[in-house]
Amino acid sequence: MKMMGEFVKGLWRENPTFRIVLGLCPTLAVSTSVSNGIGMGVAATFVLVGSNIFVSLIRGIVPEKVRIPCFIVIIATFVTIVDLLMKAYAPALSRSLGMFVPLIVVNCMVLGRAEAFASKAPPFKSILDALGMGIGFTWALILISAIRESLGNGTILGITISRSFEPPLFMILAPGALLTIGILIALINYLTMKWKAK
Amino acid sequence: MIMRILTPVLAMAALGLIFGVGLAYTLKIFGIKLDPKMFKLISMLPGSNCGACGKAGCAGFAEALARGEATPSGCVVSSEEARRSIDLFLGIDYEVRTKTIAAFLCNGGIRAKNKYSYRGIKSCKAATLLFGGYKACSFGCLGLGDCVRECPFHAITIGVDGLPVVDPKKCNSCGKCMKACPKSLYVLLPEKCYYVKCRSKDTGAQTARACSSGCIACMKCEKACPSGAVKVESNLSKIDMGKCKYIGRCVEVCPTKVIAKRG
Amino acid sequence: MDLSTYITIIISTIFINNFILSRFLGLCSFIGVSKNTLPSVSMGLAVTFVTTMASIITWLIYNYILLPYNLEYLRTLSFILVIASFVQFAEIVIQKKAPALYKVFGIYLPLITVNCAVFGAAVLNTDVFFLHGHAVPGSFMKSLIQGFGAGAGFTLAMFIMSGIRERLEYADVPRSMKDIPITFIIASLMSMAFLGFSGFKI
Repeated sequence: MKMMGEFVKGLWRENPTFRIVLGLCPTLAVSTSVSNGIGMGVAATFVLVGSNIFVSLIRGIVPEKVRIPCFIVIIATFVTIVDLLMKAYAPALSRSLGMFVPLIVVNCMVLGRAEAFASKAPPFKSILDALGMGIGFTWALILISAIRESLGNGTILGITISRSFEPPLFMILAPGALLTIGILIALINYLTMKWKAK
Repeated sequence: MIMRILTPVLAMAALGLIFGVGLAYTLKIFGIKLDPKMFKLISMLPGSNCGACGKAGCAGFAEALARGEATPSGCVVSSEEARRSIDLFLGIDYEVRTKTIAAFLCNGGIRAKNKYSYRGIKSCKAATLLFGGYKACSFGCLGLGDCVRECPFHAITIGVDGLPVVDPKKCNSCGKCMKACPKSLYVLLPEKCYYVKCRSKDTGAQTARACSSGCIACMKCEKACPSGAVKVESNLSKIDMGKCKYIGRCVEVCPTKVIAKRG
Repeated sequence: MDLSTYITIIISTIFINNFILSRFLGLCSFIGVSKNTLPSVSMGLAVTFVTTMASIITWLIYNYILLPYNLEYLRTLSFILVIASFVQFAEIVIQKKAPALYKVFGIYLPLITVNCAVFGAAVLNTDVFFLHGHAVPGSFMKSLIQGFGAGAGFTLAMFIMSGIRERLEYADVPRSMKDIPITFIIASLMSMAFLGFSGFKI
C-alpha cells in the first residue's frame, strides 16, 4: 500500500498549488470559471501522466548533460497533442483557455515532477505520482474557480446561484485571483499547523 | 502523405542539430577552464561565506587568492592552521595575526534615558533616522538588534539591560557588527583588554543627565594610570592597548564604572 | 515605423497588461525571488534580456520556417527549444565575456528557461501580430517591442514587490500568513492599483 502513498500525497500533503506552490501562472489565469478550471486540470493531468511515463522510461538512457532539454521536448510533445485534441474536440474550451494550454509546457509543476521524481522512479510509481499531482492540481483549481466564479459572477458552471447579490467584478479580474489564493494558502497553512499540533 | 510526416521531422531535426552543434561549439570557444587550484582552496577555507574579506563569499575569496589578489590573512575567520596551510599551498610567507574579538562600547541600555517614545520599525538604522534615535544620548545604543541580525555566527544577543552581549567563543572577528551598527559602537580588540564602554563626546554634565553610566571626562582614569595608556580627549576617555600594562587602576577609580576589563 | 504604435505597445505591455500583475506570467519567480531588491532587479534584467532576444529568434523561426511549411503546430516545441538553447548560449558567453555582468544576473539565467513570462511573450507575439497565417505589417518590430515591454513590466513589478517585502521584514505578520500568503495579498493590492491603468486610451 506504499504505492497508494505516492498517489495520495499529491492530493493534500504535497499539493502542488497550495503546499509546494508550483504552477501558479495557469492556476490564477484560468480559474475565472469552474468549467475552465476543470478543463485545464484535465489537460495538465494528461500532460503530467504522459510525460512522467516517458521520462521514467528513458531515465537510464539519457546522458546527464542533455537531461533537461530531453524532458522539455517530451513535455512539449504532449502539450502539443493536448492542444490539438482540445482544438478539435472542445473548441470553446480551447478558445477560453487561450494561450495557457501551450503554457503548460513551462508549468513548473510538470518539469519539476519530471526532474524530481520521474527521472529516478520506475514507470508505475511515476504514473501514480503524476495522477496524484494532477488530481491535486485539478481540485485546487476547482476550489479557486468556484470561489471566484460564485463571488465574481454569481454563477457556478454557468448556473446562477443567487439573483439578489451584486457580484464584485474584481473577483473575476486579476486582483481577485491573487487575493483568493493568498487567503486559501494561509488557511491551509493554519489548518496544517493545527493538525500537526494535535 | 509521406511529406506531411517527413517535413516536420526534418524541420525539427534541422533545428535541433543547429542548436546542438551551435551550443557545443560555443562551449568550446567560450567555455572557461576552472583553475584546479580553486577547488582545493575552497575546501581549505571555512565556508561560512560571511563576506568579511570583501569578496563574494568563500568562492570569491578563493578566486582572489588564486589570482594573487588577496592573501590568506584577509580571511579573519580561518584558524591559524588553515591560514598556514593555505600559505604553504600557495607558496607565500606566513603572517602572524593576533586574535581579536568584538567589543561593545556602550554601557547605557536601561541606564540611559529616552528622549521620546519610539513606535516604529524595529531597526537601529531606522530609529537613528529620527533625530538620531530615541535615547537622550545621541551616541548611545538603541538596542533594536541590527547587530544581532547581522552577525553570521550568531555570537551577539541582547542582554537584560538592553545592551548587546558578544559571546567570545562564537565571535570570529569578521567585523560585520561594526558595519551594522549605525552608531559605530563596535570595535575589534584583543582577547585580553581594557576598554571604555562609552563613545559620548558630550560634556560631563550632558552625559550625566542622559545616562547614569557614561564617561563624564572626570580625568580620574588618566591620572590613575601608571603606564600613560589612558587619555581623555573631547570629553571621552580612550585606552591605548599598545601601552596598557594590564594593571587595572582605571577600572577601580572610575566613578560611573564605565571602564571594563575583559579576559 | 510609427513611433506612436510602439509607445502604445510599450505602455500597454508594461502598465495596462503587466505580465505579472495582469497576465499572471512569471508568478513562480515573482514569489520566489522578490525578497530582496538586488536579486529582484538582477532577475528582471535577465528576463528582459532573454525575452527580447527570444522574441526576435522565435519570430524569425515562426515566420520563415513554421508558417511557409504549415508547421504551426510545432510552435510550442520549437519555441521552447529556442528559448532553452538561447539561455544556455547566453549563460556561456556572458560567463566568459562579461564576468561582472554574470555576477549581476548570471545565476538567474537557468531559472528563466521555464519562466512563463518568456515563453508567454513569444507565444503572445505570434497570437497578436499574425493574422490568418501572415505577419501583420511591422510585425517584427512590434514583436520585439512587446518582448522588451514584457521584460520591463516584469522588472517593474519585481522591483516594487521587493521594496515592499523588505519593509515587511520588520512587521508582525501572523504565522500562517508568513512569506507566501502575505506576498499574494500584497500582489493582489498591487494588481488592483495597476487595474487603474486599464481604462487608458492612448
